[in-house]
Amino acid sequence: MSSISCTKLTLFSLAAVAIQFIGLSIFVFGFFPVKPLLSGYSGCESFRRPTCDNDGAANQSYASLSPDRRRFLYQEGSEIPPLYDRLVLMVIDGLPAEFVLGKKGQPPSKAFMEAMPYTQSLLASGMAVGYHAIAAAPTVTMPRLKAMVSGAIGGFLDVAFNFNTLAYLDDNLVAQFFKIGWKMVMHGDDTWLRLFPGLFARHDGVSSFFVKDTVQVDQNVSRHLGDELSRDDWNFLILHYLGLDHVGHIGGRNCVLMAPKLFEMDEVVKMIHINTLRNLENDQRKTLLVVVSDHGMTENGNHGGSSYEETDSIALFIGPKTHASGHSSSNHDTIFQVDIAPTIALLFGVPIPKNNIGVLISQMVDSLTDDQKLRALQLNSWQLFRLLQAQLPGLSCRNFPCDAFVTNSGPTISECKGSKEKLFCCLYLNAATLHDAWKAKVVTRSNSTEGYNSIVAAYNEFLSSASEWLSHKATDKPINLLVLGVAALVVSCLILLGVVFVIHKEVPAWETQDHDNYVKPWKIDEVFILFGILILVISMGSSSMIEEEHYIWHFLTSTINLLFFRKAIQSLEFNKAHDFLNSIKEQKNTSVSQISSLFLILFSGRILRGWHQGGVNWTNLPDISKWLEQAGNQYINLIQIASCAMVIIMGISVLFLMQSKTKVLTGIGLSLLMSGLFVLQHFMKHPDMSASYNKDANLSVQILFAVLGITTIAVVLVLPWIMPMQTPDICSRKNFYMSASVPVEIQNSTPILVLKDSLYIVGCLYITSWCLLQLLLQQSINAVPVLLLFIQFLASMLTFSSNGSCHKQWVEITALYNLGMAGHFALGNSNTLATIDVAGAFIGISSHSTFLSGLLMFIITYATPMLFFLSMVLYVSVKATIYPLVIKKGNSGEILKTLLGFPCLVPLTINSVLMTVYTIILLLMRNHLFIWSVFSPKYLYVCAATACVYVGICIVVVTVIHTYIVLFWLRKSFSISGKAKGTWWSSKLRTN
Amino acid sequence: MDRRKSNETTKSSTTSTVELPPPISASEALIVNALCALGLAFAFWIANTVYSIELVTHPSLTLFFIWITELPIVTLLYSRYRQNRKQCTYLRAVGRGVLGVPVGALLNFLGAIAVGAPVTFQYLPKTVNWALMMSVFTTIPASCVLGSSWADWRRIFAQTKPKGSIEYLICLPAHGAVIGAWFGAWPMPLDWERPWQEWPISVSYGTVAGYLVALVASLGFVLACGRSQHIKRE
Repeated sequence: MSSISCTKLTLFSLAAVAIQFIGLSIFVFGFFPVKPLLSGYSGCESFRRPTCDNDGAANQSYASLSPDRRRFLYQEGSEIPPLYDRLVLMVIDGLPAEFVLGKKGQPPSKAFMEAMPYTQSLLASGMAVGYHAIAAAPTVTMPRLKAMVSGAIGGFLDVAFNFNTLAYLDDNLVAQFFKIGWKMVMHGDDTWLRLFPGLFARHDGVSSFFVKDTVQVDQNVSRHLGDELSRDDWNFLILHYLGLDHVGHIGGRNCVLMAPKLFEMDEVVKMIHINTLRNLENDQRKTLLVVVSDHGMTENGNHGGSSYEETDSIALFIGPKTHASGHSSSNHDTIFQVDIAPTIALLFGVPIPKNNIGVLISQMVDSLTDDQKLRALQLNSWQLFRLLQAQLPGLSCRNFPCDAFVTNSGPTISECKGSKEKLFCCLYLNAATLHDAWKAKVVTRSNSTEGYNSIVAAYNEFLSSASEWLSHKATDKPINLLVLGVAALVVSCLILLGVVFVIHKEVPAWETQDHDNYVKPWKIDEVFILFGILILVISMGSSSMIEEEHYIWHFLTSTINLLFFRKAIQSLEFNKAHDFLNSIKEQKNTSVSQISSLFLILFSGRILRGWHQGGVNWTNLPDISKWLEQAGNQYINLIQIASCAMVIIMGISVLFLMQSKTKVLTGIGLSLLMSGLFVLQHFMKHPDMSASYNKDANLSVQILFAVLGITTIAVVLVLPWIMPMQTPDICSRKNFYMSASVPVEIQNSTPILVLKDSLYIVGCLYITSWCLLQLLLQQSINAVPVLLLFIQFLASMLTFSSNGSCHKQWVEITALYNLGMAGHFALGNSNTLATIDVAGAFIGISSHSTFLSGLLMFIITYATPMLFFLSMVLYVSVKATIYPLVIKKGNSGEILKTLLGFPCLVPLTINSVLMTVYTIILLLMRNHLFIWSVFSPKYLYVCAATACVYVGICIVVVTVIHTYIVLFWLRKSFSISGKAKGTWWSSKLRTN
Repeated sequence: MDRRKSNETTKSSTTSTVELPPPISASEALIVNALCALGLAFAFWIANTVYSIELVTHPSLTLFFIWITELPIVTLLYSRYRQNRKQCTYLRAVGRGVLGVPVGALLNFLGAIAVGAPVTFQYLPKTVNWALMMSVFTTIPASCVLGSSWADWRRIFAQTKPKGSIEYLICLPAHGAVIGAWFGAWPMPLDWERPWQEWPISVSYGTVAGYLVALVASLGFVLACGRSQHIKRE
């Protein structure tokens, strides 16, 4: 029988963890590209030539301008008179451009032509200009709205990093309009309200939640239309119609409801346009109506991916006057969705948003003079050049004279090639040089249409190449990196599985008497655990299973416990006839205690499940926490105090279950009681933590952090040194923590018993302190769940410690892992970022610190998985004497392998399997409709859980190895040859 | 492996003192199972045509029909194969079968609650009726046949080691119903917004499906069992 040595095992596991870490990092940075976004808003500096030294100070002086003053400055700076006064943005969710403009030069189908008579007449007469606007993936509403108003294509991590708000904080048109004092009105999809809270003077948000509703959702928008059109107090009106998207979701492109819905939209366009014309006659206020859709739809009406049908959105510009004639034939031009933002910005004379990658639609500015048109192109180029400077640090001005002012009579146009930096600089310089030269020759300009055209061409070349490069940078996922990352994850997963399989295969010496039991291939609980992991893996492919993951964990956990229950019953004997044997009686006792603790676990688990409804789809159903919150705060506070007291009592009583009572134990019990009483006193004194923030409470929390931390660390460090070695009568005892039958030989190996005792004490201290800390940090409603989790883990220890438990170690550890995950969701966590307790992250922190808040947030969110790892120390202690034979004859490596092998490798492997599979699923689902709302947030949780596994295993390993080294080596060497040798040992250890 | 199994059977046969019922022939098993399945179909048919209710629209009433129709069929059929025929009359077997209904229902009720069935009052009748149906499928045959013999109950339900054809007829459908119910719970969290995803409809479908599959499977086991006994006797 081949056995793997401890060193080899450690090396393999460490290698696997390292590979996993590298693979995960590669994947994350490949999948969520972090592109440098420019923060802040464009101001007056955007009307000046970009310079070498990036202007930071210039912004300051403009920050506190009044809106009117700002508008005047912008007007002056842009040198382009605004073409329109008011803007109506009509968003028709999910309208493919094909319905209005047709495809590839063909007109749209007859039914759709007839459904939109007014719009088609506008297009035919040249009043309206329509474009196919290509949207970027993911073709989902919120990112597309952001792209339309900012001209930027955002990454997922931008969303994730400002998780506490959905508000859109980057530079965008809505904010720019707000800054110049525009009054804005929004009716329609409430996504706008979430993105821009507080910016709209009037609004009526509708929810896209009821997908079956195609009528009411649009009536709720249109009912305001007459009123709004009769008013003239607004400058910017946003109408967002969701009905057409809902029609698509119900019946696809060819749904019978589609033509009536298009007609309804046509009526809205007609109403607005007629109103525009009337306004034009009356008071000369010119209104621009922009009809856009955020994305298209597939034949079946779905969207989210990047097929032509989904990305083919529309952009219709409908002005009061005919646009330049002769363009009606070119109605089917293709632009990009991001081009809408700079075009609107330039038309209305506000700075182009900083992160815009779009290009001005030149047809829209045809009514301007040549000078102004060139100015518009120049402004767009400056903005893009600034963005390029931010993304390409190599685009510096030293190497290339980017802002050289060339006034030579013969402007030099160079052939552009070379690196990206050189190319962009050269293209930009060409355009700028030509433009400057043209401006210098003001007098002879009249006959130089040739010159004008070449400038426009030069600008367009720069703009299109820069825009193309920037958009590719934002959307392209480096497939090589992703594959490399996934490959690394798979390799590490396989290594871990292999290692676990190898140590599982070694039939250990202590199992030989039990060989019969061991050889039997698969027991039902083992099969079920593997099957459960398979089910988890499968369920991760479904978005609703990810949203409702808490059901799965609770279902699996309680089923495992029911199977344990069944197993405990197997050895339960009711027949009195068999009672003559003492051992059977004992067995009966243990199985009764097992059954009762399993019952306790199931019962607590069910309460935990009912505490928070959780998830996404059924959050509004009643649960215990809502019921308690309704009952009132004073009850919650009472319950919190009661559960705190219970945690203290239980922690101390579990500590004293260890029967070798020593002064050390009493001391530790007292210190635990002290810190517990501190927490209790804190709760009494500051009943409402979350509502009131005061200095006193803050100080007391800080003291508590210190007390809990120092006690735990001091005990871990000091305990192995002061644990009494002489425990002669330990074998005669039978008790909870050591009901395993101890053979007589073990008397020779006292250190292992002391090791067991110290680990037991440390484990108790760990989980009790952790629960006290959680009581302090979690919302007060979560006090009972923390208590119940504490009970669950203690009861599991009781179950697994009894002699009769014939589960394999990996089964027990997986069951505990499942308990931890079920508890994670029982504390109100979910796979959306919204459930992270942000308020708790500032408890006891006096000055703002991202690191400390992040740490607290991690502690709060991963409370239960961490509790699982801390309970592993207790588990190691509980299992320590089951392997007396190995411990007696084995060397240190063997002992440590036996103690730590499964407790560390099993969680690592489960996490590795789940993470690897989920990574592959994420890669496959990258075009899924819910990739940004469901799958990506879950991936962040998976990454954080991996970090939690690393930290937890580190704590377990360090604690056990430290205790072992002190007990087996250091203390021996101290007692044998005094201090000198002891220091030699420790120095040797350190060098090792 | 085989040797160990035979070891165990000899051990348990020495420890158990009860008289085993006579082995059941394959055709008899077929009739029993067919009657059970027909009873189920009959209950669905009655609910559907006579009272025009369905599991999806009226879950608790339909479940009530199922268990009330199935109860006499199962009790009367399985009581014929009771253990200890000398001490236990047919009527007594029927009586203990009926007594087993609430006990089995309580166990199934607690089990369902433990794995996450809702506990609010609006679900109480549904859960109770479902538990009664489960009880008819799982524990009633056992309580008719085995009575209160803890060792036999433990052998069949905790250790899954049925011996003899009649115990296969008890053990497999019971496990089939439980496993079917377990799998029936999986579609519940999906967001398809179908009415049958409510508790306990999909679970009941799972239960019935598992039960029916297990009825067929148990027939196979009875056939195999009979053949092996035949060989042994030769």
